[in-house]
Amino acid sequence: MTGLRRFPIVFPLACSAAAAMVFISEGSYWQSVASLNDLGAMGAARTRIQGLQQSILDAETGQRGFLLTGRADHLQPYDQALKDIADAFDFLDRHYRDEPEPAALLDRLHRLTAARVAAMAQAIRQQQAGQVQASTDSVLNDLGREQMGAIRALAAELLAQEATKVSTGRNELYSTLLVGRIGVAALSAVSLLALFLFLRQTSALRQKQLELKHTVLVERDRLDDEVKRRTVQLTELTRHLQTAREDERNRLARNLHDELGALLTSAKLDAARIRSRLAGTAPEALERLAHLVETLNKSIALGRSIIEDLRPSTLGNLGLVATLEILTRDFTERSGLQLHCTLAPVQLDEAAELTVYRLVQEAVTNISKYAKARQVWLSLASRAGRVEVSVRDDGVGFDPATQPRSAYGLVGMRFRVESEGGTLTVQSAPGQGTLVQASLPESGAAAA
Amino acid sequence: MPPLNTYIVEDSPVIRESLIATLEEMVPVRVVGTAEDEATAVQWLGNADHRVDLVIVDLFLKGGSGLGVLRAAMAWPSRFRLVVLSNYATQDMRRKCLELGADRVFDKSNEIDALILYCDQLAAGMGTAGLPA
Repeated sequence: MTGLRRFPIVFPLACSAAAAMVFISEGSYWQSVASLNDLGAMGAARTRIQGLQQSILDAETGQRGFLLTGRADHLQPYDQALKDIADAFDFLDRHYRDEPEPAALLDRLHRLTAARVAAMAQAIRQQQAGQVQASTDSVLNDLGREQMGAIRALAAELLAQEATKVSTGRNELYSTLLVGRIGVAALSAVSLLALFLFLRQTSALRQKQLELKHTVLVERDRLDDEVKRRTVQLTELTRHLQTAREDERNRLARNLHDELGALLTSAKLDAARIRSRLAGTAPEALERLAHLVETLNKSIALGRSIIEDLRPSTLGNLGLVATLEILTRDFTERSGLQLHCTLAPVQLDEAAELTVYRLVQEAVTNISKYAKARQVWLSLASRAGRVEVSVRDDGVGFDPATQPRSAYGLVGMRFRVESEGGTLTVQSAPGQGTLVQASLPESGAAAA
Repeated sequence: MPPLNTYIVEDSPVIRESLIATLEEMVPVRVVGTAEDEATAVQWLGNADHRVDLVIVDLFLKGGSGLGVLRAAMAWPSRFRLVVLSNYATQDMRRKCLELGADRVFDKSNEIDALILYCDQLAAGMGTAGLPA
């Protein structure tokens, strides 16, 4: 149906061409049949007219034979001829019933023939009555010849009219056939035109489809490029944000450590001096001082945990392995999980070390939040120029096809690892635990 | 009892001033010099003419680190006590410092009293039976 809708001109054109072809062919056929029937009837009429003339001559011949010989057997062809004449008139009367001009001629022929036949019958009756002389006279007189001449002339005229009609009918047939021929030729031309238009439209449509396909391909390539470009931008943006975040954390940690730490230490030193002066003189003041020192200690502890959370200070001093050991020890103490560590020294630059540390931190945080695990395996090793770190648990796992609970953490981790030139994979299934694996390129510099 | 010649490597002026004031008030200590960064400290301590009995080192400095000072000191003949006073006196850090030749490690916040006591004993010991262990 869609194909038909695409050819609004061609389809009705083809339909009407077919209809017109059928119409013209049928019309021409029926008209030809009618013309041929007419021609047949005309032929029959001609034959009858000629037969009529022959029958009149036959009747005359029979009558003359009888008059000359007196033998009754000559009357037999005479009688037969009269019957034939009657038959012929019977046919011709019916044939010319609707045509006034030949009907008038036929009427005259009728009357002349009737007169001629009556004359012949009278001669025969005279012969039978023994009036031989009278009958012979009737044969010999000119009346019979004149009558016959008139009959012949009338018959010729009728035949001539019939010939005219035949010729007219034939011309009609010719023109009918010509119309049919022209019509078929014209409609064939129209059909060819329709076919041509159809083919042209089809090819135009195909061309359009090809163009559309091409456009779609170009658009897809453009979108591909766009996606790649955006992905690069996103990676860069993430790296920038991560760097900015780490810088900010570093700055905060440094400020807290340097400024707040110094103030608190200074306060502690002052407290020590005050206590030595108060010693033994004001026990109540000493008690308040002890409380003040305790408060200071709590502030110091709080400051330290904030600083340590902001920036693992041991990373720069003791290296990645020691820092991860501290992280996992703290984690084990807090969560009560069993943790199996296989940590080998690796060569990574500062940013990559921090990335690995944050990755492990994120992973163990997720485990303690969601996994409901009993055991955790942490491994860090160097293999073929790449540093591989993996964190595995025996917890509830999750379906990676659905949005994981810690989706943003993982996405952030992935970007962060990728921005260091590494790859991150997460494998999990419900009830199967979770495995987070990262692989980063080793740094060229020797380990500190 | 002769005063304990002490050199302080500490980048925070607030702590430095408080520390000097506290030590000089409570312990027979004489601060003979201070440094804010690793290079200055190593240079001063590397000079064998400088008489010094005790060096108090912070780990985080303006330039370099206290660990660098410890490493440098390992190469020299032992002529002074080296203690670390740090805000990062974690177990690992303590171990690392002791491995690098530090005599003691004190937490800046929680072990001020212990530091003062150590200095006191050190000053007392120097007068009688040499350096205490």
